Amino acid sequence: MEGWDTSTKSTLTQIPLLSAKAGPRDGASWTQRLKEEYKSLIAYTQMNKSNDNDWFHISAANPEGTRWTGKCWYVHNLLKYEFDLQFDIPVTYPSTAPELELPQLDGKTQKMYRGGKICLTVHFKPLWAKNCPRFGIAHALCLGLAPWLAAEVPILVDSGMIKHKDDSSSSAES
Amino acid sequence: MDEELLELQRQFEFAQQAKSSIRLSERNVVELVQKLKELHIIDFDLLHTISGKEYITPEQLRQEIAAEINKLGRVSVIDLTDITGVDLYHVEKQAQLVVSNDPGLMLVQGEIISQSYWDNVAEDINDRLQECNQIAVAELAAQLNVGSELITSMLDSRLGTLVKGRLESGQLYTPAYVARVSAMVRGASRGITVPTNLSALWGTLQQLLQEMNGVSGVAVESTFFQSLFNGLLKEGELLGSLRAGVHWTPTVFAAAQKECIDSFFSQNSHIIYSALQKLGISQPVQFLQSRYPDGIPLTTVFVHPSMIDMLDEAVEDAVERGSWIDSLSLLPTSFTPQDASKILLQCSSVQSAQKGNQGLLLVDSYLFSSGFVKDIYDRLEKEMVAFNLSGSSILTSSEESHLVKETRGRTNRTIELTETGNEKKKKGKAAAMKASESLPDDEYIPTKSKKNQKKGKDLLSVVVSDSKAGTRKDLANMQENLNVPTEEWITQKIMDLVPDFEEQGMDNPEAIIRPLANNMRPKLINFLKERRKAVFTENAENMKRLLDNLQKKLDESFLNMQLYEKALDFFDDDQSTSAVLHRHLLRTTAAPIADTLFYNLDMHNKLRNGIDAEESHSGPATFNPAERTAVAKTFPGSLSKKALSVIEALEGKHVEAFMTALREMAEESGLLLKKLDKKLERTLLHSYRKDLTTQVSVETDPVALLPKVVSLLYLQIHNKALQAPGRAISIAVSRLKDKLEDSAYKILTDYQSATVTLLSLLSAATGDEEDCTSDRISTKREMLENLMPALKGLVLSTSQS
Repeated sequence: MEGWDTSTKSTLTQIPLLSAKAGPRDGASWTQRLKEEYKSLIAYTQMNKSNDNDWFHISAANPEGTRWTGKCWYVHNLLKYEFDLQFDIPVTYPSTAPELELPQLDGKTQKMYRGGKICLTVHFKPLWAKNCPRFGIAHALCLGLAPWLAAEVPILVDSGMIKHKDDSSSSAES
Repeated sequence: MDEELLELQRQFEFAQQAKSSIRLSERNVVELVQKLKELHIIDFDLLHTISGKEYITPEQLRQEIAAEINKLGRVSVIDLTDITGVDLYHVEKQAQLVVSNDPGLMLVQGEIISQSYWDNVAEDINDRLQECNQIAVAELAAQLNVGSELITSMLDSRLGTLVKGRLESGQLYTPAYVARVSAMVRGASRGITVPTNLSALWGTLQQLLQEMNGVSGVAVESTFFQSLFNGLLKEGELLGSLRAGVHWTPTVFAAAQKECIDSFFSQNSHIIYSALQKLGISQPVQFLQSRYPDGIPLTTVFVHPSMIDMLDEAVEDAVERGSWIDSLSLLPTSFTPQDASKILLQCSSVQSAQKGNQGLLLVDSYLFSSGFVKDIYDRLEKEMVAFNLSGSSILTSSEESHLVKETRGRTNRTIELTETGNEKKKKGKAAAMKASESLPDDEYIPTKSKKNQKKGKDLLSVVVSDSKAGTRKDLANMQENLNVPTEEWITQKIMDLVPDFEEQGMDNPEAIIRPLANNMRPKLINFLKERRKAVFTENAENMKRLLDNLQKKLDESFLNMQLYEKALDFFDDDQSTSAVLHRHLLRTTAAPIADTLFYNLDMHNKLRNGIDAEESHSGPATFNPAERTAVAKTFPGSLSKKALSVIEALEGKHVEAFMTALREMAEESGLLLKKLDKKLERTLLHSYRKDLTTQVSVETDPVALLPKVVSLLYLQIHNKALQAPGRAISIAVSRLKDKLEDSAYKILTDYQSATVTLLSLLSAATGDEEDCTSDRISTKREMLENLMPALKGLVLSTSQS
């Protein structure tokens, strides 16, 4: 599990693992899978909250639970930068990881595919494949998005690509 | 849609809606605390833990320390730093504060210990003590990991309350146990009846206890026994005396000892030290002296004065009766000779006897009254005189030498024996006995076998050796004192004189007689010397006279001899005649001279040695050569040699040799031989001539006349004194031929031939008497007789002319 910082790793190990191997097209077993996803997400969220490290808010956008939308944020220099977050559960899930999208940052950084899909580290894919089907959405967020935000947001802020909403608003006002 | 899924959705939503807890970073907190301190909101010392992540107030620390102490009752300060996580420095400081505030706590060697802990420990100890009866404090200290002194002080305050037992030299004991061991000690000590080293006793008791307790039993220290013992002794439960802390002498033993000694001493009025030593008294003399102040300590025995009284009486009796006494025979057998001698010296009668010269103490235990000794001595003296008179000096010396030879022979034999005797011990012993009897006159002493001998024998051998040494010395002095009585001789004489020595049934009368003889011997020798001196002075006169006589006789004959010798010069050219003449002179003149000398010197010798040589007035005896040699050998040293050479010369053919030998001998014996000088020669010749003339004139025998006439003729013509044997006469006559007138010579030759024929006839006529020769002899004789006046006239006339 090299490639991630120790806090990420310790957090990851505390997220409950999943057991049902089912994709969105598998009907009842997908429902079962979805339940496990929720449980895992709940545990992860509670964990984040108790550590004063809450950094996202998501919810299923359709009843099947194949599309998720929400927000994620990062605090840099005592300023909170908040971005929209959305992703679909691929058909080959859970063998394929979901592609996390930050549409607001599309085109602002090189570490991103077209459409705002974030580029994950080379280590992510093998680790995910190795842990299929035990890893779920929570794991994908923890392993993929959190490090990405921590790495990219300070650069983006410093380069002035993104501006805090207060600043932008104040500048807009001024 | 699934209910559960919805529910989960809701829950997730709720979880996401929940407010997240707010966290301050450490750094913020530290800053906050510093801020508080700066603002003096926190106005006390704030400690922090080693990890640096916690602050702690001193009160809290003290509380924690107290809590820890309460938990176990005993806690190490170092452990406290681990438990509280605060630096040791602060913990120590606070621990000291805690201890000083609470009197029930103590800080010992980095540990805080509460009284309650000690109480617990004491209870534990008590439990164990009741179980095991005894515990070593050192063991406890090791278990609790504290100093034994601390434990002792802790136990001291709790003995009798929490701990029911007794602390004795680093050991804890229960009273029951102490009682039991003390009972053992008492039993063992009371059981002892002889003096004992207590440490040995404790050893056995220890073993006993160990056996009783089995393997679990702990070794009891002997000091514990000792203290119990001392306690019992103080209480009077044990009777006895203790020396040097460990030597225990029970009263019962001391009492028995005293009783035993008392009873023996009162019964026998003496006691041997060795007996006391057997009873365990190491210094018997001091013991007895302190106990019986009037007793007398001797070498090996302690006696009551009554013993001395008894001996005293016996001695007195012996002295008065003029007898002798062996104190050993009166004393108990356990007395040694040394004791006897000591006790004798204690006797008043002995002292007075010795002072008054009435008694003689010999060989430690024998006392002779002076009367007795004097009696023997007188008798011995008489014996001595008799012995001296009877034994000639030659005899004695030969006896002595014989004796010595014998002794030597025996010694050699015994030495051989002892050399081989190592294998055969018995034989060796016998040999040693022999050796002691005939003690070797060389230094060899068979020490090994000597050990085997009894003391008495030893004594004897020493005495004998002394005596032997004495005889040896005597032998050395033999030249001076020819016959000093030997000790053996005296001993033998005393034995003969006083037979009661043997009658009294003594195993070894020699043992006492010898010293007695030794005692008397000097006196006897003195006596003998004096006697000899007396004889000597008496003899001196005789000797002088003898020597004077000798000198006179010798002078005379020696001068004659010289005279005759001169005459011999005439015949030097004629060998055979000269030899004949020499021999004749030696036989006729020299032999008497030598004999006279020898005889007189012998006499002189005897006189000088103090022998009563009665002078025989029968005149000088004649000796044959063998006798001469014997006499010559008795002469001392060089004189003897000279005398022998004289004898040899006498046997020879040369008068000169004899003369020189004789002269030398005379010189050696201190006599003077006068040399012939002219004047003396003349007077001598004159007297000789006169003598011869008268002889010739009165001579009637025709045969004897001839030599005298010839001599006279020689004297007249040559002024030489010739002593010629018959055979030499004819030659002597022929020599006169040219000196005499023809007529005279004719008379002489006629007479001579007539004499020769007569003599030949005489020698032939010895066979039968009724022979015609007798007639012829008588005619011849007549013829000679007829011729005699002519011959006489021949001589006498010349002498007158």
